[in-house]
Amino acid sequence: MKDKIVSYIKGNLATESVEDIDINEDLLGSGLVDSLGMVQLVLFIENEANIKVSPEEMTIENFTTVDHILKFIASKNKDQKQA
Amino acid sequence: MKSIYTLPQLIENVARASPNREAFRYLEETISYSELHKKTDQLASYLISIGIKKGDRVGIFMNRCLETSIAVYGILKAGAVYVPLDTAAPLHKTAAIINDCQISCLITTTTKRRKVDTLLNEKSTLNRVIGDTLKNSIPSVAWDDVFSIELDDYTPPTILEQDLAFILYTSGSTGMPKGIMHTHYSGLSLAKIAADTYNFNPDDIFGNPAPLHFDPSTFGYFVSPLVGATTVIIPDAHLKMPASLSALISKERITVWYSVPLMLLQLLHSETLDKHDFSSLRWVLFAGEVFITKHLRALMKKWPNARFSNLYGPAELILCTYYNVLKLPKKDEPIPIGNVWANTEYKILDENNNDALENETGQLAVRSATMMQGYWNNKSLTEQSFHKVTIADGYEHIYYKTGDLVKLNNNGELLFLGRNDRQIKLRGYRVELDEIELTLLKHNDIEEVAVLVLGKDEEVQELAAVIKPLKGVSINLTYLREFCKIQLPSYAIPKTIEFMKDLPRTSSGKISRKEIGKLLEEHQL
Repeated sequence: MKDKIVSYIKGNLATESVEDIDINEDLLGSGLVDSLGMVQLVLFIENEANIKVSPEEMTIENFTTVDHILKFIASKNKDQKQA
Repeated sequence: MKSIYTLPQLIENVARASPNREAFRYLEETISYSELHKKTDQLASYLISIGIKKGDRVGIFMNRCLETSIAVYGILKAGAVYVPLDTAAPLHKTAAIINDCQISCLITTTTKRRKVDTLLNEKSTLNRVIGDTLKNSIPSVAWDDVFSIELDDYTPPTILEQDLAFILYTSGSTGMPKGIMHTHYSGLSLAKIAADTYNFNPDDIFGNPAPLHFDPSTFGYFVSPLVGATTVIIPDAHLKMPASLSALISKERITVWYSVPLMLLQLLHSETLDKHDFSSLRWVLFAGEVFITKHLRALMKKWPNARFSNLYGPAELILCTYYNVLKLPKKDEPIPIGNVWANTEYKILDENNNDALENETGQLAVRSATMMQGYWNNKSLTEQSFHKVTIADGYEHIYYKTGDLVKLNNNGELLFLGRNDRQIKLRGYRVELDEIELTLLKHNDIEEVAVLVLGKDEEVQELAAVIKPLKGVSINLTYLREFCKIQLPSYAIPKTIEFMKDLPRTSSGKISRKEIGKLLEEHQL
């Protein structure tokens, strides 16, 4: 999942050309991904991870870095299994 | 208190009267008026020491952060002109702006290092960077070194209210950016009129989500210091994550919010407005785009204690009219842009630049204290944009032609009817693109829409609509076409209808019809 997200950001969303994206790189504050890009990223994650992201979950804590996103997906999967 | 004539006096005044009052806040970082006064003196002193003279242009290349306030006032104190650069713009365009107004010195922060490095590869007039130390490049200095400058030998230059203060670049319709020149007088006039209009006071906390290159930033940077209030600079990350923005507005106890309608719409849709306490919000101001009435009504219901006001004004005037929405709008009709505020007058002009007849639609032309000096390095464009009325030989009144169509309603309030160039001729019919958009918005499942013309030659031109449906709703195209047939004359029905999950935006948050047009022409939708 990590590689899929990184390559999607690099190939489709990045506002400048970057060689690699560290999982701890700030996607939001650095301007690497713009607002429209974030909407696309959320849709991509919904499809790839087969989860549903609610508007309340659109937070900095869940989406600032690739690492945050991976943790968010993991917690969503856990919730789904329990449900 | 003594009168003030220049923007730096805004900071000096508060620093003298209440030195410990908080001027700007960015998350956990904060700066008082006295600290801001000292640090901006240090920056001004540094700028003068490297040869920056009165009237020189200095670039600001930063995200929203605390240092923006130091950059703005430091440059102004040196008698120089600040030019905010959009950090999200393609770097060759940024270089074109730098060259257009001959910027030699750029102020930045370490977070922009990668972009500044790339920018320096472009051919430009830059020869110094402040705010980050760069390797193997032009001379540069870190913020800490600026803040350790001794001020014993510093003599500030004399600044007059007519001196240039800042230049805002906007992308012109032809693609070449236009540099809108504002003086200390026009900036200070904006601050005074806005403070009087809304009765701002020292206890107010201004939320500033606007980037510096976008004229609404004048509220956070000028209006708030005039009344001795505090400005909360909203971080970029929060603007991309509405649920976090909602939490921040509540936590910071913001009392005055001013943004484009888009941000308010995103807050509304974040489904978090019931979770936080927004009782501190006194004024919710919006401008830059039409706030679709049905969305405004929904937001007003969520924030019953706040007062709402629709502001209007192109960057050439900063702002010129306002309309307070005192009660819930009953109908979905667009709300007026209202009346001109203090120190401002207007005319409505017909196609030949004569005064339009009573009740007729025409172009709005405005004369005001907040009006720009003109476009940088573009005398002919400046002349074209002005409407001059000769009062006596050698004395004329100068109005700025906004390019926006307006008319008066029965209450004597101005109604915004769209851009002059959004009124087109299609196979002989006069078509108002903005009116088609408003009609389509009556459809309950449509959140936003952009209507535009495809094709260059008049014979092959056709209308296209790109629609953003409400989240989670799919719109049946056959039914939508039926809806169009009922609501619109046949020549005004868009031939092409496409759907997008979100519409492309300009860096200031407005719907980018240019970008949508490009996608349509390239068949990418």
